[in-house]
Amino acid sequence: MVLLTCPNCGPRSTQEFAFGGEYNQRPQEPLASSDSQWTDYVYMRDNVWGLQTEWWYHRSGCGLWFLAERHTKTNVVETTYEWSERG
Amino acid sequence: MSNTIQARKAPGPSEVLDRDNNLTFTFNGKRYAAFSGDTIASALAASGVTVFSRSFKYHRPRGLLCCAGHCPNCLVQVGDEPNVRACQRAVQQGMSVSAQNAWPSLDRDLLSATAIADRLLPVGFYYKTFIRPQALWPVYEHVLRHIAGLGKISSETEQAEFDKQYLHADIVVIGGGPAGISAARAASEQGAQVLLFEENPALGGHLLFASPERANALPPLLDKLQRCENITTFTDTTVLGWYEEHWLSAVRGSRLFKIRAKAIVVATGAYETPLVFDNNDLPGVMLGSAVQRLLNLYSVVAGQRSVIITTNDEGWEVAADLHAAGVNLAAVVDARGPDDCASVYVDYIEGLGEVPIFWSHTIVSAQGSKSVKGAVIAPVADTGSVNISHAQTISCDLISMSMGWTPASGLLYQAGGQLSYDKEQAAIMPVKLSSGVYGTGRVNGTYEVANQISEGRLTGLRAASFLGLCDSPSSDEQSTIAACINSESSRNSDLVLVPGKKKRFVCYCEDVTDVDIETAIAEGYSSIELLKRYSTISMGPCQGKMCSMNTIHLCARANEATIDDTGTTTARPPASPVSLGALAGQNMEPVQVTPIHEWHLGRDAKMMVSGLWLRPEHYGDPTTEIRAVREHVGLIDVSTLGKLQLTGTGVPDLLERLYVNRWRKLHLGRVRYGVMCNDEGVVMDDGVCARMDTEEWYMTTTSGGASAVFDWIQWWTQSGWGDDVHIVNRTEDFAAFNLAGPQSRALLQELVNSTDISNEAFPYMHVRPVEVAGASCYLLRIGFTGELSYEIHVPSGYGLHVWQALMQAGQRFGIMPFGMEAQRVLRLEKAHIIVGQDTDALTDPIAADMSWIVKLDKADFLGKRPLARIADEGTSQRLAGFKMVNSNAIPDEGTQIVQSGDDGKIEIIGWVTSSRFSPTLCEGIGLCWLPTEIAAQNKARFTIRTKGRLEEAYVHHGAFYDPHGERLRM
Repeated sequence: MVLLTCPNCGPRSTQEFAFGGEYNQRPQEPLASSDSQWTDYVYMRDNVWGLQTEWWYHRSGCGLWFLAERHTKTNVVETTYEWSERG
Repeated sequence: MSNTIQARKAPGPSEVLDRDNNLTFTFNGKRYAAFSGDTIASALAASGVTVFSRSFKYHRPRGLLCCAGHCPNCLVQVGDEPNVRACQRAVQQGMSVSAQNAWPSLDRDLLSATAIADRLLPVGFYYKTFIRPQALWPVYEHVLRHIAGLGKISSETEQAEFDKQYLHADIVVIGGGPAGISAARAASEQGAQVLLFEENPALGGHLLFASPERANALPPLLDKLQRCENITTFTDTTVLGWYEEHWLSAVRGSRLFKIRAKAIVVATGAYETPLVFDNNDLPGVMLGSAVQRLLNLYSVVAGQRSVIITTNDEGWEVAADLHAAGVNLAAVVDARGPDDCASVYVDYIEGLGEVPIFWSHTIVSAQGSKSVKGAVIAPVADTGSVNISHAQTISCDLISMSMGWTPASGLLYQAGGQLSYDKEQAAIMPVKLSSGVYGTGRVNGTYEVANQISEGRLTGLRAASFLGLCDSPSSDEQSTIAACINSESSRNSDLVLVPGKKKRFVCYCEDVTDVDIETAIAEGYSSIELLKRYSTISMGPCQGKMCSMNTIHLCARANEATIDDTGTTTARPPASPVSLGALAGQNMEPVQVTPIHEWHLGRDAKMMVSGLWLRPEHYGDPTTEIRAVREHVGLIDVSTLGKLQLTGTGVPDLLERLYVNRWRKLHLGRVRYGVMCNDEGVVMDDGVCARMDTEEWYMTTTSGGASAVFDWIQWWTQSGWGDDVHIVNRTEDFAAFNLAGPQSRALLQELVNSTDISNEAFPYMHVRPVEVAGASCYLLRIGFTGELSYEIHVPSGYGLHVWQALMQAGQRFGIMPFGMEAQRVLRLEKAHIIVGQDTDALTDPIAADMSWIVKLDKADFLGKRPLARIADEGTSQRLAGFKMVNSNAIPDEGTQIVQSGDDGKIEIIGWVTSSRFSPTLCEGIGLCWLPTEIAAQNKARFTIRTKGRLEEAYVHHGAFYDPHGERLRM
């Protein structure tokens, strides 16, 4: 992967982006969540061998944090979208 | 002039020399003549030089082999530049060239006479000899460095200029021979933007040095190319690597290109393959293409009487060229029988006159000690077995080998192509290439010029159609051209090795022989990748260009395996050697400077790097600076602070979530200190945030954390916490200074006209917009130093003006500028922490003795859950202040706090994060991490191990200086 498509700016060099890690959602009610839910959120990562949803940040560009679905096997990015457009 | 130009022939049509322009240069201290256009190699060969280098292991004399910049034989030192290929580097007037790896001289290398190398450097010697006794390794190393080696690197060499250029193209064509040129042209005619890369100084590939008949095809090709508008040609430019998504690197001299392409056409040609026979490294044994290059480009014949060894028609072309140049041909020795060579009769034999021809013969051995004196030839059967009993010797001084070609497939492999051995062609050919990658010309097994041109055109069209610029070429057209290519006579044969009694080199770079390969395989290193690593074959300067195909053949035979089962070694970038300088690029260390930077330099500030910034560490004497702040007034440039402007009705909610303390009720005109944690409860950053207006807030972060905090806040606001919040990073828009000291108010009053900044009108932890020296500023009454102080944030453009106005007005108050060092001491006297110095990636605010700031009773915030637990369970370590018992013993930051364990052994119980001598208190003070039970007791004693000694210290609770914070509120 050399180019990444920013939902705002279109395809740009990956040098403009920062990787933000695997996507995982913060528990809605942290104090109500169980220890294992909280541990999953803070420390555990799936490290999938396949399609992964992950955060990217267009740091040297528009400043958008967005989600990318990338195959960790092939490095092919299937799609990118803003957080608010996630399924 | 010690040598005259004697081997130079009359100019031919392809000659690249300017014979009116005479140059001189030296080689090993001796002067030589050259024409402008000569390479070092061609000029030396013209003067009769045959030995160019000494081999890596055995110090055998080596002469020109490939003349194409591939083999290691002509590596020389030019001035202080090592490892220059003499056959590629043009002669420049007065240049000083010397041989490498020869001792004491190239002609009489004593290291070759000894048998040391043979006994001590067997195949795999890296793993066998020089291992024991280990204590002798320094001696071995010294000896090995002397024996083996390429050029000498001079530490005196001045830094060269290197740079980078980014290029974009629809189609990149690599290789400017007939196939590459045709492909570039065809693609550009369909509207593609094409970049054409050629590693040699001129386009044309093999047509440049071919016999005049073949060379005739070049001018029309170049003529048509010139008329294409959207082709940019880069000569002298070597493509080094293919990376994902057709991202290529290439180098031209000191410039590295990074190229983004949508499709690539690889037309990199092929490397001529040497034959492995006795003494095949003797100077005077050359590849046929090398003989042709020297003759047709430089009009140099490397001998007076030559023997042609061939297995294909190209050897006959070499013979014809030499004959036409008036060179005595001693024999043409073709491994094929006359029945297989009908084309030779038509094209060549008649023109050669009375030349002795040996059908079904090949060479067994080259004779001579430092250069070729003769060739021993013998009959060879189709099976490759040689009948030594019928051997005969032919006197000669040049042996030309035309044994076939190894396709230059490195980039095809790098690009993920699948290649497989083609028995008909006796070569490894592309089978399936990656999407958008095409091969054409010799790399694809196409050798006839007419076929290269038509196949190149077809390939260009296929690449253009891949980009949607045109339809793909019709299958009729494709099959017509394929039929022409299939009818070409084969260039390659299975004749790779002629057994004998002397050394036969497969790898010229590392001096690996066929026997070494057999030995390595017998020792168990039978896979090609292991064989390579064990024998170091293909790991030298030529990177397998001369040896890879022969190695695969020999490995397959020794293992009784097929070529495909044997496989190849992995092709990786760089495909050709490249200087580290070109890869490193310019020597650039970008730093950020504040608007006051020049002023600091003018005051002889000692600058230090802090994150991306350059900041004054001090202006000569930090102790005086500290005194000025405590007693009068000081001014520090804190423009490096991160500064964020947050606007909107959603800001209070956001701040409540980002910081561990409370924000919702912060009134207009107030400022508050805050600490941010992540969801592990770890301290990320600290700073202040001011409410400038009902819906406008101004946040500062630490200098080092500015960009990370901005990214962090952006992340939360863009993933659900950003309703009606707008954030702008103002870090570089504002300069910021801290005016600190008991006189700061009196000083500032002089610059703010009638604005009332008295303690009553503008108390501690308040903020207001104020005009300072005529510039609109934010004035924040806060202080890291513990004195009455004002942080002044001014638009960058007015920064220097306001700074100078403060310094000017401050003169009568005894103002001094102060730097980072003074500030570190001043804040330490107040026991204020520095995030990242006194905290680390595991520090929570409760352990950092800041539980007062964590408001667990407010709604959810980042880190609340872990912090609630920590508050409940307590922490095992605490950050605490300490004083030294011996006030002059200042421990180094980072040193350990120790105690005697139960078994009497010393154990580590903590560490020092900050420590200084406090000139205000005349005591040694600091911050450290201690077990909670010790940290909790004021005056508790403990021991610090520093500088090899044990020093006593004791816990100190609260600030060391002005513990009740009265001076801040004056």
